[in-house]
Amino acid sequence: MEITIRDTLFTLHPSGALYWKDQNMVLIADVHLGKISHFRKFGSAVPPLAIKSNFERLNQVVSWFKPARICFLGDLFHSTLNKEWRFFEEWVNDQTAQIILVKGNHDIITPSKFTDLGIQIKEELLINNFLLTHHPAERDGVFTISGHIHPGIKLRGLGKQTLNVPCFHRQPKQLTLPAFGAFTGKFLITPKKGDIIYVTTQNEVLVI
Amino acid sequence: MNKKNLYRIADNWFKNQDWKPFPFQKQAWDAYLQGKNGLLNAPTGSGKTYALWVPIVLDYIREHPNYKTQTHKGVWAIWVTPLRALSVEIKNATQRFVDDIGVPFTVGIRTGDTSKKERAAQNRRLPNLLITTPESLQLLLSSKGYDKKMNSLAAVVTDEWHELLGSKRGVQMELALSRIKTVAPKLRIWGISATIGNLDQAREVLLGPGSESFQNSVLIKAKINKKIRVKSIIPKKMELFPWRGHLGLHLLEEVIPIIKSSKTTLLFTNTRSQCEIWFQRILDKHPELAGEMAMHHGSINKETRKWVENAIREATLKAVVCTSSLDLGVDFAPVETIVQIGGPKGVARFLQRAGRSGHQPGKESVIYFLPTHAMELIEASALQKAVKSQKVEERIPYLNSYDVLVQYLTTLAVSDGFYPKEIYREVTTTFCYRSLTPEQLGWILNFITLGSQSLQAYDEFKKVEIEEDGRYKTNNRGVAMRHRLQIGTIVSDAVLTVKFLKGGYIGSIEEWFISKLKPGDVFTFAGRNLELFRVKNMQVLVKKSKERSSIVPSWMGGRMSLSSEMSQLLREELYAVAELLNSDQHNYSENNGETKKQGKHGLSRELRSLIPIFKRQVKESIVPGPKQLLIETFKTREGYHNVFYPFEGRFVHEAMGSLLAYRISLLSSITFSIAFNDYGFELLSDQELDMQQVLDNELFSSRFVKSDLEKSLNATEMARRKFRDIAVIAGLVFTGFPNKLVKSKHLQSSAQLLFSVFNDYEPDNLLLKQAYTETFEHQLEEGRLQLALQRIEKQTIIWKTCTKPTPFSFPIITDRLREKLSSEKLADRIKRMLLHLEKS
Repeated sequence: MEITIRDTLFTLHPSGALYWKDQNMVLIADVHLGKISHFRKFGSAVPPLAIKSNFERLNQVVSWFKPARICFLGDLFHSTLNKEWRFFEEWVNDQTAQIILVKGNHDIITPSKFTDLGIQIKEELLINNFLLTHHPAERDGVFTISGHIHPGIKLRGLGKQTLNVPCFHRQPKQLTLPAFGAFTGKFLITPKKGDIIYVTTQNEVLVI
Repeated sequence: MNKKNLYRIADNWFKNQDWKPFPFQKQAWDAYLQGKNGLLNAPTGSGKTYALWVPIVLDYIREHPNYKTQTHKGVWAIWVTPLRALSVEIKNATQRFVDDIGVPFTVGIRTGDTSKKERAAQNRRLPNLLITTPESLQLLLSSKGYDKKMNSLAAVVTDEWHELLGSKRGVQMELALSRIKTVAPKLRIWGISATIGNLDQAREVLLGPGSESFQNSVLIKAKINKKIRVKSIIPKKMELFPWRGHLGLHLLEEVIPIIKSSKTTLLFTNTRSQCEIWFQRILDKHPELAGEMAMHHGSINKETRKWVENAIREATLKAVVCTSSLDLGVDFAPVETIVQIGGPKGVARFLQRAGRSGHQPGKESVIYFLPTHAMELIEASALQKAVKSQKVEERIPYLNSYDVLVQYLTTLAVSDGFYPKEIYREVTTTFCYRSLTPEQLGWILNFITLGSQSLQAYDEFKKVEIEEDGRYKTNNRGVAMRHRLQIGTIVSDAVLTVKFLKGGYIGSIEEWFISKLKPGDVFTFAGRNLELFRVKNMQVLVKKSKERSSIVPSWMGGRMSLSSEMSQLLREELYAVAELLNSDQHNYSENNGETKKQGKHGLSRELRSLIPIFKRQVKESIVPGPKQLLIETFKTREGYHNVFYPFEGRFVHEAMGSLLAYRISLLSSITFSIAFNDYGFELLSDQELDMQQVLDNELFSSRFVKSDLEKSLNATEMARRKFRDIAVIAGLVFTGFPNKLVKSKHLQSSAQLLFSVFNDYEPDNLLLKQAYTETFEHQLEEGRLQLALQRIEKQTIIWKTCTKPTPFSFPIITDRLREKLSSEKLADRIKRMLLHLEKS
């Protein structure tokens, strides 16, 4: 789905990624790599297939948009180093795009491990009055794109059916991306008047 | 020593106590000493402990001629009780016998309350009689060298087996026994159960179907014929339109003379909030009872509860308002009178409560029934019959609980490890896992060793390892410790302790109730009005409040449903009324009030008092007979009411209502709100429903129930909630360290997350499938729904269009707690959903 924010064109991808056409840049928030391995290390049998799916979905996004730059909006790696890092290394080596990490609260792995792979680390990034951060923020004159929240929304319908789905949460001065990772929770948001909610499903993004 | 001399020891002891052994006790002694296993069916307070403890000790004497001088090393018997509170009583009773007859036996308790020091001492040497809970028994199996410790074990007695049978704690017992049978070759297994509908099955589950132990077993029934008299409190003025939700307070004054004329009265309520309110109101209206009245429910702190229990025993209280917390165990001799407020919903529960009074031999138990609305008098009338026929509910044992098996196998891996071949043989002797296939066991073994069904690269999954000789063992101490902390199958909502700001513990309360309150809000708890100050570290700090009006916490599980036995009895009562109304249209009214005893129409006093209501009911509608299903439709300001009366209990009605609403929505698009109670359900709509179309299309069909239910109710969401317990039991989520428990909100969310990941990546996961099975079998009672629909298929549907609401419909249509069901046509699921804006 294509949307325009302040005369700038963006594409919302069902995976939760955001594509910035002018910059040829993909924005991805809260992948939380390593989380599944972390759980498994402590005896909780989270399906290991979900680890692979993170990388498969990253590849899908990359091959769809073919971006020049990939910007992770924080919480790229969930925990301390574990063996999932190896998969990540392999994945990075396969990329031709420039990779940028805007640091999040979960990114506790020493920065040199990232820079060794050629990844740039930033606290935040300002491009053409668009501020890219991990934590949502409202600042004068700029539009913020962030992650951290893992926004989701509760939908109600037929019978006693309820459905919690991840979503993009657009407010007048900022946009929050859904968590990209396969094993991440959702925080159910309560939209205010004037907010726009884009729900992600398997194959499409729907505006509510 | 021969049998005669052995019995002399016991008989002398009984004589010294001024007791005479009951026939059932002698039967149990005989059977036990003959080496049999068995199930003893005996109520509380009947001397059931001595029925089994005596022969266990006599058997020891027989085997150990030097029993007086030599102390015995190791555990001789294990006594399992579901309630920690009962362990002290069992300890006192058992210790007394061995002390008196001069057997130097040690009796010890090991439960969650046992101190660390005592536990360490027990680890070095177990007491001769160990009194414990199913969870602590599992913990014993998780300690190293348990097999040697239990090697000479002679008996395991499972007390209150009926309580465990229909739960996963029962499954835990089945598994523990399957193991202990192997390590203790001399073992005898006994159970004690109150009367339930499936006693034979209860014995089979305890001993293992088809097992040697089962072949060599008996069922002994204590024939203690207790007289129970049920007296209904019938309102002087009968309302023609019985509202629901009165809590019965309008009959409060009728209870006061009962309390005053009896030594001690227990007033049973169905919910903790009802208990709080009744307690308050009695004190408001009759302050003279202050000091002589107390309250007892599961959320009040243990000390207060113990104090109340002791006060009942010492007969210092006139009245206690309580909930099912006083249903079990502890024997209260001075209790003379029981008052049941509101329908007890089940025959077994009612009989158990009635049995709380008149414990002296030969005394009659009196139980008063106080209806909260007039329709409940039908229930009272049904209960009169139930007391006579003793037709009690069954407890349905769980089948294929993979989560408990995962936990159990990890438990064994944590202690000394296990070999799959041996364990498979043992596990398949249990009732729960008798159909477990080698493939399913293989799946579970992969689950605990690999954390998946195939080996993954770079995987660090740690739980159980396979050693070189094929033994499955946990060697990681962290994993072992976390597992031990989490053994158990009761997954409760996180409870917060309620404390005064100045200190002083009042009780515990569920997290979700407190989460709805803001600081400064006043709520009633433990009979006091309290103001919430703040919530910190799982503690609720409160101040006393003088404010009068307040919120009464309602606890989860407050709404019970009629059991199928009760539902059937209830229908039979109505059929009797229907028959009378049909056969005797003209006379029945004149005799009303004149006939003193059981009326000449065979109607009970309760039903006769309802005759004005039945008369109003048949004005525009009918009282349905055995071959009829009644549907009423009428219009009010609220919209078009469609009321159905299958009389099957609220759970079945909830499912049936949703099912029917879904099927109707396939015919035409319409929006309903659904209300239901134990008698029927209502579909309310703003448009008129074409009932003829409903009848023509056979929407009550019992075919395709499951797939329709899946679509009509949010089966996935229900399974997701069930999955929380399964995830905790199977050790997928960690509930935290003692005193530092994980908030249930977090637990819920991580379990939900796991559910989604399994749904997406491992749809064949057995634990995931179990969540769905449990939803359909235990939550939605699919089996009962199926039977109810089959019954309806054979009935004639009587559709009455009425101008006004009928008395039968009134309690349903005034129910404000409704479920909505809308079937406005929308393209696909997402698009069908409406944005739900939660008020912040």
